[in-house]
Order: sequence, then C-alpha cells, then structure tokens
Amino acid sequence: MKTTFKSLLTGAMAAAMMTGASTATAGEFDGVTVNILTRPGPVIAGRLVDRGKEFTEMTGAEIRVNEVPFAEIFQKLLTDWATGTNSIDVGVFASGWAVELVDGGLVENLDPYIAKDDKINFDDIAPYFREFNQKIGGSTYLITVDGDFQMLYYRRDILEKIGMEPPATWDDYMKVAEAMHGMDMNGDGEADYGSCIFKKRNAQSYFAIGSIAAGFSQTQGTGEGLWFDPETMKPKINNAAWAEAFRVYKDTGKFAPADELNQDIGDTRALVQAGRCGLVIDWGDIGPLSIDEAGAAIKDKMGAVIMPGSPMVLDADSNTLVQCDATRCPHATNGVNHAPYAAFGGWAGAINQKSDQKVKDAAYAFLSYVNQAEQSNVDVTMGWTGYNPYRNSQLNDTTKWIEAGFSPEFADNYLGAIKDSLNHPNMASDVRIPGAQQYTGVVLDRELARFLAGEITAEQALANIEEGWEEITEDFDRESQAQMYKLSLGITN
Amino acid sequence: MTERTLYQRLFEPPRINQMAIGTKVVVYGLLLIWSAVVLFPIYWLLITSVKSAADVNGGPVYIPFVDFTPSLHAWRELFVVDYEDTLRAYFNSIIISLAATLLSTLIGSMAAYALARVKYAPNLVTVLIFAILMIITFVSIGIYGVDWRLVIASALAVFFFLMKAVSSRVKIPLKNGDILFWMISQRILAPIVVVVPIYMMFQTVRMLDTHLAIILTYAVVNLPIVVWLMYDFFTSIPRDLEESAQLDGATMFMTFREVVLPLSKAGLAATTLLVMILSWNEYLLALFLSTAKAQTMPILVAAMNAGERGILWWSMSAVIVVMIIPVVFMAVVLQRYISKGILLGAVKG
Amino acid sequence: MTTPENMTPDRPGPAPVDLTWTANPGGPVSQWIDNHARQLFIMPAVLMILVFSIFPLVASLIIAFSRIRLRGGGYQVRFVGWKNFEKQIFGSEQFHFLGTFTQMSVVGWMVGLSVTGLILWWMYKYVTTQFTVVGFIGRLITASVTIAIAFMFAATFFSGNPFGTLGVTLFYVFVGCGVQFLIGLGLAFLCSQQIRGRNFFRVAFFIPMMITPIGVGYVFRMLADTTKGPFTPLWQGLGLKDFAWATDPWAARVFIVIGDSWQWIPFVFIILLAAFENVPRDYVEAAEMDGAGSWQIFREITWPQVLPVAVTVMLIRVIEAFKIVDLPNIMTSGGPGIATESMSLHSFFAWRALDLGQSAAIAYLLLFVTVVICVSFFNLIVLNRMRQND
Repeated sequence: MKTTFKSLLTGAMAAAMMTGASTATAGEFDGVTVNILTRPGPVIAGRLVDRGKEFTEMTGAEIRVNEVPFAEIFQKLLTDWATGTNSIDVGVFASGWAVELVDGGLVENLDPYIAKDDKINFDDIAPYFREFNQKIGGSTYLITVDGDFQMLYYRRDILEKIGMEPPATWDDYMKVAEAMHGMDMNGDGEADYGSCIFKKRNAQSYFAIGSIAAGFSQTQGTGEGLWFDPETMKPKINNAAWAEAFRVYKDTGKFAPADELNQDIGDTRALVQAGRCGLVIDWGDIGPLSIDEAGAAIKDKMGAVIMPGSPMVLDADSNTLVQCDATRCPHATNGVNHAPYAAFGGWAGAINQKSDQKVKDAAYAFLSYVNQAEQSNVDVTMGWTGYNPYRNSQLNDTTKWIEAGFSPEFADNYLGAIKDSLNHPNMASDVRIPGAQQYTGVVLDRELARFLAGEITAEQALANIEEGWEEITEDFDRESQAQMYKLSLGITN
Repeated sequence: MTERTLYQRLFEPPRINQMAIGTKVVVYGLLLIWSAVVLFPIYWLLITSVKSAADVNGGPVYIPFVDFTPSLHAWRELFVVDYEDTLRAYFNSIIISLAATLLSTLIGSMAAYALARVKYAPNLVTVLIFAILMIITFVSIGIYGVDWRLVIASALAVFFFLMKAVSSRVKIPLKNGDILFWMISQRILAPIVVVVPIYMMFQTVRMLDTHLAIILTYAVVNLPIVVWLMYDFFTSIPRDLEESAQLDGATMFMTFREVVLPLSKAGLAATTLLVMILSWNEYLLALFLSTAKAQTMPILVAAMNAGERGILWWSMSAVIVVMIIPVVFMAVVLQRYISKGILLGAVKG
Repeated sequence: MTTPENMTPDRPGPAPVDLTWTANPGGPVSQWIDNHARQLFIMPAVLMILVFSIFPLVASLIIAFSRIRLRGGGYQVRFVGWKNFEKQIFGSEQFHFLGTFTQMSVVGWMVGLSVTGLILWWMYKYVTTQFTVVGFIGRLITASVTIAIAFMFAATFFSGNPFGTLGVTLFYVFVGCGVQFLIGLGLAFLCSQQIRGRNFFRVAFFIPMMITPIGVGYVFRMLADTTKGPFTPLWQGLGLKDFAWATDPWAARVFIVIGDSWQWIPFVFIILLAAFENVPRDYVEAAEMDGAGSWQIFREITWPQVLPVAVTVMLIRVIEAFKIVDLPNIMTSGGPGIATESMSLHSFFAWRALDLGQSAAIAYLLLFVTVVICVSFFNLIVLNRMRQND
C-alpha cells in the first residue's frame, strides 16, 4: 500500500513537472541517475557521454553510459528488461530491434512526452525516420540519434580521369568498377580496387544484399514490403530478383581485394580512407570520414549518389526480370527503378517501461536534448560521432557542414544524394518484426556466405532461405508476424 | 661401458649433465626458433600499440623510429582520457581472478586430497534425493517465482526427513572414482549452455553485476581442473610422511596444511597459475554477469572492435599488453616455487 | 553432470588408504570440526558444483526441448519435444550440423564400410574374450557413435561434399590437440634438460597462454592479414598476392588450428614440464651408471613417469578443444560459408539471434559427442594401458 501510494505520488509530481520538461531547469533532476546501454568506443557512445555531461550541468541528472560489444547489446538489453533486472533505463540501439521489445511490452510509449515537448520540433525530422523508424504500430517509441541507409560512393577524381558517369544501374557499376580496377588511386605505386563491398559472414553483408536486391524487387513504394508479402507472410525471396542480386554481389568481388570475403565494414572503411577503393557501398559515414584526419587520402575526392537500381524488375507471375514501364515502376527515374534501402535504420534511444517515472522523465529529456536540432545539427557533421543526418534542417543548410571541413561542392553533392534517398517514395524498409535477427542475421547471412564461398548456387541458397524463414515465421506465429510486418510498413488495417 | 657408435658419440652425452656438441646446437636451435614463434606476436602487439592508424592500415612497418614514428596516442587514450574505465576494469579483473583462484584452489585441493586419501561411500539414493529436491527448488523459484527462503527451508526439511526414512534402508554405495569422475566431468559443459540459467539464478538473488557473482562462477568453473590436477599430484606423493604425522597425533587439517601442501608446491603452483590465467581471461560469463560495476578486462578488449568503424588495433593491442603484465609477474613469482618444489622432489627420494 | 551408470569408469589408481586421524584436543567446535574432517574436506566442492551445475543443466535441458521467448515479465516457454534436435539432425539445419549429403562416392563407401568392419571386429573380439554387461553397453555406445561419425565423414568429406560444424569441431579437436601434444611434449622435454636460460625459456614459452582468447583471435587476425600483416611481403613474394587464406575452407581451418595451437601449446608444455621435473633424478642417475643411453632412459624411466600426466593433460585439452569458439568467431566469423564454424560457435550464433532452443539443443549435442569421445578415450585407452602396465 505504502509503495503504491509513493509511486502514485512521484508519478503525479513528475506529470506536474513535465509541463516544463523541455525547458530544462537547473537542478530539476537532481539525484536522478539514468543508465544508458549502448555500443562501445567513441562511435555513438562518445557523443552521448559528452552531451550527458552538459545535461548534468543543466538539470542535475547523472547520465551513465554503459558499453557492451555491438553483437551483444540486444541480448543483454532484452534479458535485462525481460527478467526484471532493470539495471538499464535507456537502450540506444538499432531501431529495427525495438519491435521485439515493444512487442514484449518492455518499452515506454513516448507519445505523451512528445506532446508536451516544445523543443524537439518533430516536423523537422525526415519523414522516413519520423513515420517509420521511430514508430511501431502508430506510436512513437524511439528517439533517433543517427539516421542510417546506404548509398553509393565513388572517387570523383578517378571517375573524371576515366571519363565516366557515376553508375545508376548495377550494369554501370560493373563497367565502372572494371575500368577502375587495378589503377593506382592513392599514389603509392600499388594497384588498387574497383569495388569494395564488405562480404564477411556474421557482419554486415546482409545489409549490402538488401541494398542490391531492393532495386530489382521493390517497385511500388515503401508499403509494398521488400521481404515478405504483408498479407500472407510468404517470403518474397526465392525469385529471379534476388537470384540476380546474389550474382551481382558475388560478381563485384572480381574487382575487389582478394580477401574481401573476410572483410567487414571496418576493414572496408579502412581501405576507403587509405584511398584504395573506386566504388563503395556504405552508410552516410563516408562523408564525414573523408574529412577526418585518417581520410587525408580521399579528402574532397569522394562523391555520393543514390544506390544503383535496375531497368529490369521482377515480374512475380512469371518469376522473370522484365523491362520497367510506367505501371510497373511508378517511381523510376529515366527508366531505372531505385529503392534506397534503410539498412539497419539507425541508432535510436528507447526507454525502459519499468524504470521509475522520475528516471523516465530525465531519460526522455536527455534523448530529446540529443535529438534537438541545436545539438544534433553539429553532431552529424563530425565523422567520429557516427551520427548521420536525419533532420531536414541538417540537409538543407550546408553551413554547418562547410564549417566542419566539407568543400561546398562535396557538401551539396553529399547532402543531395542523402535527400534523393531519404525522400524517395520507394524507400525499402528493413525487417522490423520479432525474430528480425534470425531472419536476416542468421539464415539470410549464412546462406549468402555459403553462396559467396561457392558452396551452393544462388537458387539453392534462396530456396534454403525461404524454408528457413517459413520455419521462423511458424515459430513466431504467422498471424501476429504478418500483423507486425504490416505495422512496420505503415499499413494500419 | 659398452662400445659407443658414432651416433652415440655425437649425440649422446657420456653423462646427463653434459651435452654433446651436436645435441647442443639442435637443442638451442629448436628452443630459439620456438622463442621467436612465441615472442614475435608479442612484439607485434607492442609495436602496434604505439602505431598511428595510418601506420597500421598502410601496410606493415616493423621497427619503431626506423620505419615509423611511434606515438603514445593509444596509451594516452587508455590511461589519460578513459582512465576511469580502464582502471576500474583492471581492478575488477585483479580482484575477481585472485579471489576466484584462491577459492577454487583451496576448495579443489581439499577435495582432491580427501579423494586421494579417504574412502568415501556415499549412498546413491541420498544423492538422488538431494539432486531431485534441488531441481524442484530451482524450478519453483526460477519458473514459478516462489520466495526462495521459503523453498530452501522446506526443501531442507523434506531432505532430512527422506534421508532418515529412505536412505537408511536402501543403500547403493558410490566409490571415490565416481565422485572424482562426476567432478571432472563438469568441465565438459560449454559455458554457452549454462550462461542463461546462471544469469537467471543470480538475478533471482539480486547479485548480478557484483564481484561475488563472477568470483563464485569462476571458482566453480575451474574447480574440476583443480581437483583433477591436484588428485594426480596427491596420489603421486609418498604416504609415509603423512602416516608418521598421523602417528604423532596430527589432525587431518594439520596434516594437510603442514605435510601435504609443502610437498605439493610444484603442483599447487602450476594449478594456481593455470586457474588464475583462465579466470583472468574469461570472456563470455563475464559479459553476461556484469553490466557496469563489475566489467573485466576481456570485455574491454572486445570493446576495441568498434564495429563499423573498424578495429582500433592500436588501442586493442595496448589493452592486451596491459593484460599480460600481471600474469607474467605471477608466472615469474610462482616460477620460484615450481623450482623449489622440484628441488624438494629431488631430495625426497 | 551425471553420467550413465554404465559409463562410470572404475578408476583404479592407488587405492585410497583410510588413514585414521585423531581429533585435536581443543574446544568443542574444533573437536567437532576434526571429527567431521572427512566430510568437511569434500563438501564445499560438492555443494558448489551441485548448485552451479545441476540447475543450469536442467534448465538448459528444458530450453533444448522448447521454444523460449523473452517478454515483459519473464519467459514464454513452449514445449516442442524433439523438434530442435530433429531440425539439426534431419531437418533444415542438417547441412549445417552434419554436412551436405548427396550421393556417396566409392571412396566414401569404402571408408565408411571399412571403419564399420573394424569396429564390428573389435566388438566381436571384446564379446568373445572379456564380456561384461556394463562394458558391452559402453562399447556399444562408443561403437555406434564412431560408425555414425565415420559415415558422416564418408558421405561428406570423402564424397566431395562440405561437412558441417560437427566435422569442423572434430577437425579442430584431433588435429589441434595432436599438434599441441607433439610440440608441447618436445618443448617440455628440451626444457627439462640441463640447459642455460631455462627460466627464460619457461616463462617465454608460457606467455601465449596468458593472452585472453579473444585477444589471441585478434592478434592472429592481424598477423594473418594479407595486406597489412607483418608477413605481407613474404606472402606476396611467394606469389600468393591474389590468394586469400580466408576464402579457402582448408586454409582457413588450418589458420585457426595454428592460432589455437599457439595459445594452447604452453598449457601442454607447462604441465608436462612439471611432470618431467618430478621424475626422480636418482632413478635417472642410477640408470646412467648402468650405461643406459638417453633414448633408453627416456623410454624406460622418464616416459612411464610422465605418461599418466600426459594422458590427463590431453584429456583436459580435448575437453577444452571441443568448446573452441573465440578464434573462429573473431578470425573468420565461421566463414568462408560455414567452413570454420565449430559447434560451440554454431550454438553461440543461435543464442545471439535469441534462438535459445536451438542454441541449447546444439550445446547438448556437443555435450553428448564430447562425453562419448572423452569417456571412450578414458576407458578404452587410458584404463587399458594401465591394466597392461600392472
């Protein structure tokens, strides 16, 4: 009885205080400690620590950032919250993982907080992140700190030298990569590589394959769904589009480092920064990385463009690739269907539903503080933070970027490519349903690795993936999975 | 002495303490080659820890000041910028591995000694009753959420009741070998099998992220190794000294402390060192049982893989080097005892 | 862990003498302690193992037969029977655990059948000479597992198909431990001789074991890197610029065995060294007086003294080797394809994707294989050997 009364009281007090939550007052959260769990190192975590110190000065709340290896974050968080250990108040993690947590009833619904927040300026957040990434089933559960999707980067100087255009299709990509392969791109006298796309198992390769396959497969806009049929949850993977994507992915290896099969994105980025790659598929990070100290070899030499697409897209009935036309590819540019893929979805913060109300208030105020344009518009221009742009004001205004060291020309080019992708009506969504890790991180990733290693053909791999996915869907219950998938695509019936 | 062949004259010394020249060359040659195999990766770690990112990623450079300029940036980051995290993990590791080692060496060698010297005949029925009750206890706490104090108290009561009622009538005695085998076989369990249940167990008693939880877990995980190695050492020690101590009226504890332990220093030193190293380096269990306060060094090493930002080779190398130092120190200290033990062994015959 | 009764070895060893200790004339507490010394010596270990292993074992057994989901308020457990195991052995994960089965080649049949023949002959010999029920059941289990594994290799490796994580694990265990034993034994023998700088060699040779296994994984990944590792010039000088070890299944497995051996040779070394040094010097000197050569001394005096320790150390190594996870995880992430994935890693990946049921099932399969192989090794080789020596 006593405890109930106490929690009621604190709840009421907190609600009363929340009217002024956004205009943080000094000492407002004195004595409150917010435990955040995220990945280690300067990336993502580093900036949270810095902003946390500022926040402590402003409000008195102590922000404690706990770091665990990337691959273990989700496990750790889910176990902590589900078993009621509750040593963590805020998880900052891949937005796609949140679905499972929300489904388990572990995450605080942020709608009431946002309604009272007058500083966060939600409309400034790019539509994809605002409407898809932060929301689950129509309510906002996440606050974005980093916006992620993949683009194609190229060496502007090398492309000019060989007189070619940035590739718009995967055929072009191959041609450019072939032309660049073997050239010396950083002046060290050694032959460099036409194409660098990470292919290591259990790393990020399933994001790359999603980016390639989306252009062949998804044509009708985000709501079509890249991975499953939203009605039946039948995998849309065992078809000609994915088979082609598998082959394209493997073929890029011809113009790549010999041990590309064992390179993850970290290895690839090291090569890019050393000026050894002509074409690269990556998230937004390459922009800021190219003005980094370690990226001296590529400073002002990179260009960015929307992910290549395909003029040939999947015809589901005949299971063949057919030429685009106005009905088949309503969103095509120059007859090429693009589907920029929101791989990973970006880092976002979620609040533990079981934390004390006071802590939840402080946690929300902190996430909002990090997300607000005043802070984030500076953070996204710094390569080491790992934060990529997700607000319109970050994309429309180049001054902050030029201040950070971008040349005006590259700032326009880079932000232009991001805008092209972010505002694309055919943006492809990541798998954001329970078991996402099993679908992509285990089954897809493993079969892809076996295909790349030459153990099996693309068709065998895809048939195995279909079988594996159906098993997972059955395990999680087909009905509810279909429901969750629809929600993740913004279909609300 | 019989006639020696050419081969014998070249390679077989007339006495054990001398070596023929050919043998000497081969022996030292092999030892030096292996030293290189062992030390080169360590050297590479050391120089990588003072390289800049460009020196690591730009292709191999080998000698500081000659083909690259060393910088202490990784070390500065570790001990100036992030010194709080580093030192906390360092002290955690030291406390946890020392305590776990002491605990499991003590308990393990006592059990091993007892198994080597005392005939046990535990009743299988009692053991089974105990095990079943324990499973029921855990299941009712873990899955049905009954208060743990209540469950344990009632389980104990039932156990003593059944022991009196059943165990005294049905007897299936086990042998020492069975106990030994049972203890050793615990080591077969891969940590991946037990990590989730152990997590749940500590969560129930609110001990997650404490030193004690990790210490206890490590002590148990390493117990089989201690029992196994020490059992072998104890059985090889001649019994006459213990028998005479016993005749002098020494108790079992006194005999163990004053006669047996000094005799088995070599074995104890090697076992302690081994357990110490295993606890110092353990990763998976530490990852699960610690969140912030009790994080250990191996987690810091893993943390230097910054995922999509690549591996921070320089910082990672520095952390690994820092981790090796105390163990080398331990090895050098225990080295003396190992040698002493051997001297004793030479005298004892 | 409780083992089937029939598998419990009746370890001979020196029979424990039941010494009768007296009680210390002290207070009642110390009297009581001394009177119960025998129980007190062994109880702490027994209790700790009971608490920390019975529960996790039972809990993971439950998990292995169910699907588990973590949700608000705890766990959602749904029993699925043998489904998790079926999936690994017969179902969609068969290629992953056992390997890809297509047509068996002639070589495959020959290998499979000849192993079966050998095992049957061995069983026949046993039955006709020294039959006991317990021994027969134990041997039956060993025989069936051996034949199953032989056919697994026959249908995969010897028929040109890739094998799964079971095969990879066995490769790591047997090749790795073999290499570690031979080199460790050699080094221990050399260091037990009267040589200069003994202390240096001992400490130096021991260093690799002091590095945390994940650290060793990263160190070897760094060393084996063909673009920025120290051996790059050598690698390119050999004309291997376009060959990457990480993309070839066998090269990748060999690299992992090299890394693993580098780390664990010191373990074999230090224990065998202690064993060599515990060989009474006067025995050796006496033999020398009698004019025995050093090979003869080694074979007849040193080796018999070292053998029991060598067996113990290898058994520990084999048990530990079955758990190999950090090196393949860090060096190759189990790639190329699934070529370097061990069973522990297989289980770990399932666990990381929150597929706790599959993870526990694989772990139990690993446990089963490890127990059968280790107990067989212990019973059939070690005990036989001891009986012969007696």
